[in-house]
Amino acid sequence: MEALNGLLTGFGVILTPSNLYLCFLGSLIGTLVGVLPGVGPLAALALLLPVTFTLSPVGGLVMLCSIFYGAMYGGSTTSILLNIPGEAASVVTCFDGHQMARQGRAGPALGIAAIGSFIAGTLGVVIMTFFAPAIAAVAIRFGPPENFALMVLGLVCTLFMISGSTIKGVLMMALGCLTAAVGLDVVNGRERYTFGSVDLSGGIELLAVVIGLFGIAEILSNVETMAKTTLLADRIRGLWPSLADWRASWRPILRGSGLGFLLGLVPGGGPVTAAFMSYALEKRIAAQPERFGKGAIEGVAGPESANNSAVAGSLIPVLSLGIPSNPVTALLLGALIIQGIQPGPLFIAQRPDLFWGIVASMYIGNVFLLLLNLPLIGLWVQFLRIPYRVMFPVVLLLCVVGTYSANKNVFDLWIMLGFGIGGYVLRKLEYDLAPFVIAFVLAPLLEQSLRQSLVMSPDGAMILVKRPVAAVLLAASALLTYLMFRRQTKNEGGLS
Amino acid sequence: MKWAGIAYALVIALLSTPAGAQSDPKAELAKLKPKDFPTQPIEFTVVYPAGGGMDVSARLLAKHVENLSGDRIIVNNRTGGAGMVGHSYLATQAKPDGYTVGVIASLLWGDAMLRAQGRWAHTDLEPIAYVNSDALIWVGSTEGPYKGMSIKDIVSAAKEKPNTIRVAIVPGSMWEYILDQIETNSGAKFLRVPFQGGGAGITALIGGNVDIAQGFFSEFRGYLEGGKVAPLAVAAGGRMDFLKDMPTFNEAFGSNEYLWQLVRYAVVPKGTPADRKAYLAAAVQAAMKDPELIAEYRKQGVFFDPKLQNSKDLAADLNAYADVERQFYVKTGRLK
Amino acid sequence: MFERTLNVFWIVFGAASAAYAWSLGMVGPAGPESGLFPFIASVIVSGAGIILLLRPLGVAPDFPRGGGLWRVLGVVVGLIVMAAGMPYLGFSVTSFITMIILLRAVDQSSWLSAVTLAFISTASVFWLFGQMLGMALPRGPWGW
Repeated sequence: MEALNGLLTGFGVILTPSNLYLCFLGSLIGTLVGVLPGVGPLAALALLLPVTFTLSPVGGLVMLCSIFYGAMYGGSTTSILLNIPGEAASVVTCFDGHQMARQGRAGPALGIAAIGSFIAGTLGVVIMTFFAPAIAAVAIRFGPPENFALMVLGLVCTLFMISGSTIKGVLMMALGCLTAAVGLDVVNGRERYTFGSVDLSGGIELLAVVIGLFGIAEILSNVETMAKTTLLADRIRGLWPSLADWRASWRPILRGSGLGFLLGLVPGGGPVTAAFMSYALEKRIAAQPERFGKGAIEGVAGPESANNSAVAGSLIPVLSLGIPSNPVTALLLGALIIQGIQPGPLFIAQRPDLFWGIVASMYIGNVFLLLLNLPLIGLWVQFLRIPYRVMFPVVLLLCVVGTYSANKNVFDLWIMLGFGIGGYVLRKLEYDLAPFVIAFVLAPLLEQSLRQSLVMSPDGAMILVKRPVAAVLLAASALLTYLMFRRQTKNEGGLS
Repeated sequence: MKWAGIAYALVIALLSTPAGAQSDPKAELAKLKPKDFPTQPIEFTVVYPAGGGMDVSARLLAKHVENLSGDRIIVNNRTGGAGMVGHSYLATQAKPDGYTVGVIASLLWGDAMLRAQGRWAHTDLEPIAYVNSDALIWVGSTEGPYKGMSIKDIVSAAKEKPNTIRVAIVPGSMWEYILDQIETNSGAKFLRVPFQGGGAGITALIGGNVDIAQGFFSEFRGYLEGGKVAPLAVAAGGRMDFLKDMPTFNEAFGSNEYLWQLVRYAVVPKGTPADRKAYLAAAVQAAMKDPELIAEYRKQGVFFDPKLQNSKDLAADLNAYADVERQFYVKTGRLK
Repeated sequence: MFERTLNVFWIVFGAASAAYAWSLGMVGPAGPESGLFPFIASVIVSGAGIILLLRPLGVAPDFPRGGGLWRVLGVVVGLIVMAAGMPYLGFSVTSFITMIILLRAVDQSSWLSAVTLAFISTASVFWLFGQMLGMALPRGPWGW
């Protein structure tokens, strides 16, 4: 079968000492970059791009790709241990992962995150191996109406995620949409909410918001109490997930893998959206959703798997068609072009060595990452023993540098501070911050897609109904909304 | 024997004089290096996201400049506001100490004239070297109702059936301006679908969501080779070497105003010390003469404007182009 | 009390934002204009603020007092110093100063351990990002 042949070619290409070394190096750097709060794969790839000039095309690309999915492994570490996201796609892991750490279960949390990542990453590559061109042909048809419908579905799913007061959650979502509107209106190039500031005309940086809301706010909360000298006064109970943990986790892992892969394919998707949606999904279908936010292992297994398979998903459009679906894959595209390689529909046919080499390297890379991350769990858990009063300034410094690394603009630090204070205050008043972030990520694409659709279509909004995929997704959103209202009114006799 | 010795010595002497050897660009460059400069890496600022066309040009340039000069160059993407954030940074905040070099495109002029609101002008950035030019190209799909049609046919079709042919645009820039020109001159009306960049428009074209896309060669080359897109016309003064069968807009419509090109060039902030500016200019210009770099650029589908390549006063020639653009803005009422 | 203030804040903020969005234009020939989406979002914010205002208050939040308050303010001041100082003094000096502020004010370390830790962490971060990852951190007037 063609795919298996290709895979053999790929393994032939990758199994050389130098390429294996580069795969390993990339995995290592990716893990490190994921662990560091704020510094994410995009910054790391941009910084290391010049290094690939001196490498062969296969070597350079293998290294860059392994940094990308390596970061998804490492990102969960600080989320679980410190409640500070290693990068945007790991925000969700903070919610339950850190609670597990507080209950002395940091080891199992880290373990499930690593193993779930491995399973999802490998599954993603398997699907990529056999179905890449076919999937790409379908993905390309996703136009503005489909994007709009998908974003609507995403926002509806977010409503499920809201813990605590629904009204407050909706308020946060609306606020997220507003914050996302700051900057240029993509559709007509006009400035909105910038009030003459050049920095604001570039929009508000997601990383600054995430680090502020979840990193700085967390540090402020901890510093306020400083009751315990370490984050973990009790003994750490066991380093490995128990059988019960496995039983609870294997289905979320599989669901996360599937969902993440699909969301990686579409533009504007990628690991961040995948992680949030997986969390929403797990919470929605769990038998006891109240456990979420208090250390439910499904809340770690699902999202951590989703963000890894999303990497494989997002590589398909770029490698099969030359279309990037998020900034990281756009950068990979640039790396290819600089090497003199033309990505596009003919890429697989013209350079099977490159394509299959990358695919093969992903199998190997996932193994490397599993081997790297599992033994490190014992080491990371020891970090919790460091007195907080020594640790937090260093972590704060890393947050600052991490945020700065996004745009090299000091303005982002002010944003980070502002959102840090805001997040701290809102937490005290029991506002759930996650809906803000999701709305912030999804709203721009939703608005842009809707307006593009309306412009494109000869009969206005009817285009959303006439295009089958869009219609189906919108119907699903409507159904979910109805179900949610019914559940709310049934449970509590009214919106809370 | 004595004569042989002298003859031998003479031959050796002749062969080792500079007249007998090729001048080494690295050595030439090293002679121009000012004292105490550089002591830290030089930043090449790119105002667009990593991986895009501008970024690729800048990184290729940085690679060659680094080779020739031995100085460390770091490419930095200062993105946001469709380039506005980066342009403002270069014009108002970057220190004129020789450690910042902007690798920018002529979209700077639009930002300076229409959006800077008097805070800075494009002359606040002094050009030091010309890099390349990229001409805007219209492409159609190889499937669908408009396949196989020439640019003139398509414009006629747009005139007969206004607001049906969907064109991908990037609002607020040349993608819109050329449509304005065509619509004014021919009476056609296209349906403008906005996107964030040329590449997104081409993706939409392939997915059947728009009928015509606009972009640069590097953005659609892969699809061209894959037979998915058909180039229609180019907004340049002459046909492109890499697509000799594609007419220019000026040819097709008998005009001379359809000239929309991205001119990429390197700048330093105003006030950079003269010796450092001269060194940086020499470095970039030396890199631009490197045949390897030229070949890599040609693969991107850029072309080299002879007027700018051989320019004696780059700033003046670029300002001349900028003024043409200014005329367009005044004429279309965008600028008072 | 604080919660009530916040609710009123939402109402006012939402209203102001809605007014601004209105001025951007709601609907145009090609469908929604720049202002429509922000307008809807602003109205939702105000509306949610009104609903929350009309609800009975929940548990009163415990705001920091005394030592806790000073520590929180210490971190905030540290971050302000970081953001304000970096463009002028460069990363190394600013982060050194900030670390000292944090360690002394928030944590009451001795001078010796504060200076030592500040120096080590600033230097390591500078090395890690500057050398290993090749990221240019801002330099001060002294060139580093």
